[in-house]
Amino acid sequence: MKTIHQFGICMLLTSLAGTAFAQDAAQGHLLVKTVVQKEEVVVDASGEETVRLVDAKVVVPGDEVIYTVTFENISDTAAENVVITNPIAADLEYVDGSAFGPGSDIVFSVDGGTMFAAAGELSVAENGVVRPAEAKDFTHIRWEMQNEIPAGSQGVARFRARLP
Amino acid sequence: MTLKPKQPERPALTRWRYGIGMQIAAFGAVLLAAQTSFAAGTPAGTVIDNTAQVSFDIGGTSLSLNSNTVSITVDERIDVVVTLQSPQVLVAGGESNRSLLFRVTNNGNGSEGFALAIDSNLGGDDFDPVPAVPAIYFDMDASGDFNPGDVAYTPGTNDPQLLADGFIDILLVNDIPLAVNNGDIGLSQLIATSQTGSGAAGDVFAGQGEGGGDAVLGTSGGQAAGNGEYLVSDVAFSIVKSVVVADPFGGTQPVPGATLTYTLVVQVTNAGTAGNSTVNDPIPVNTSYVANSINVNGAPVTDAVDGDSGELNLAGVPSVVVRLGDLTQASGVQTVIFQVTID
Repeated sequence: MKTIHQFGICMLLTSLAGTAFAQDAAQGHLLVKTVVQKEEVVVDASGEETVRLVDAKVVVPGDEVIYTVTFENISDTAAENVVITNPIAADLEYVDGSAFGPGSDIVFSVDGGTMFAAAGELSVAENGVVRPAEAKDFTHIRWEMQNEIPAGSQGVARFRARLP
Repeated sequence: MTLKPKQPERPALTRWRYGIGMQIAAFGAVLLAAQTSFAAGTPAGTVIDNTAQVSFDIGGTSLSLNSNTVSITVDERIDVVVTLQSPQVLVAGGESNRSLLFRVTNNGNGSEGFALAIDSNLGGDDFDPVPAVPAIYFDMDASGDFNPGDVAYTPGTNDPQLLADGFIDILLVNDIPLAVNNGDIGLSQLIATSQTGSGAAGDVFAGQGEGGGDAVLGTSGGQAAGNGEYLVSDVAFSIVKSVVVADPFGGTQPVPGATLTYTLVVQVTNAGTAGNSTVNDPIPVNTSYVANSINVNGAPVTDAVDGDSGELNLAGVPSVVVRLGDLTQASGVQTVIFQVTID
């Protein structure tokens, strides 16, 4: 992880919409894995509470789940312009301010992934009235890694979503 | 192997900033699609998939791939609420089949069955109502009152099955003991319990949720109760109406043009309070109301709806409406007078 920060800034802005690629080929370069978890409060014998992440086996309305995308460059060449795009399922609401990714710029979409911008720069029209977009309006999150990912290095992107 | 063509190079930063500005200007704002919302939350059994997409350049080639797909299935949250629908019910000692109206609402996100129970032996009141046999009924005609058409609840036979957000109106029927005193209060409680189970919030019933998932108890713990109240009130309310005829010729003949002066005498007797007592007297057909003729206890009351104690209500059949407020025996005789002329 630390190595990521040693490299120069490079941004990737190409649209990912509508692209279909042979995953087998790409998997030879980057290993990408997603997990979904939720927080569980554990109380130890002394009554102290600790929060740990567990598999999201039981999820009911009102719960928050945490999606974590990890990637690892398993090729022998640095990967540049790494961009992770994650849709926010229609049944979920993004938790404001929860997106996290070391070394990344985080942008959002409110139109199904066509246009991305920083959270404060998006707006939506509701009943004919234009208003600033709220977290629940976001349809996609995008992490734009600012540095190249050297061979053998890893990265992570994470966000939290609430089940209404 | 499919490769994505390399995009023409442009200064990244400039393009980014410019791109945002242009897109906002061009598209204005995104129209939000109407979304179905559920007060009780996302329905149990809903499957939510998530797949991340990653693009990157490696060795001068642009590639893109998808992560594995993770899937969660929304489990059933069991929650129920019981709310009293009827106001305090005024009763007299020895009355039978007096009903209280409740509503049982499924606040969970799945279809759920509920067992119902009555408890009339509660603390905090002056007497215990005696549950009728049976004592729990479905308010089939939605009248809010106990009627012959209402269907009795039989545990295990017709337990209400409620969809998420669904509700059903329930009547508790009690008899009032003879030995009660004016002003006594008696409580009766309706209890609704999830058939999947009840217990502490957060308890999980594995595999018993709608849609094949688990069932989890919400804040209600799968059980809810509501109390209703009977108030013993011996109060008696009497109203006596009389009329005096004055014809245009100095006599008392009810001929066209004659003036009819109506007098309503209202009196409350016995202990207790007749709350919000209101007189509502329609103007008879073939007569015309005499403007500003309403008089209450010797003082005139205007025809307008203006904050005083009465008015001529012109909605539907015109009628004289006088609000006498909370009356007790100590309030004494209340006299309402108004006049009409024969057409």
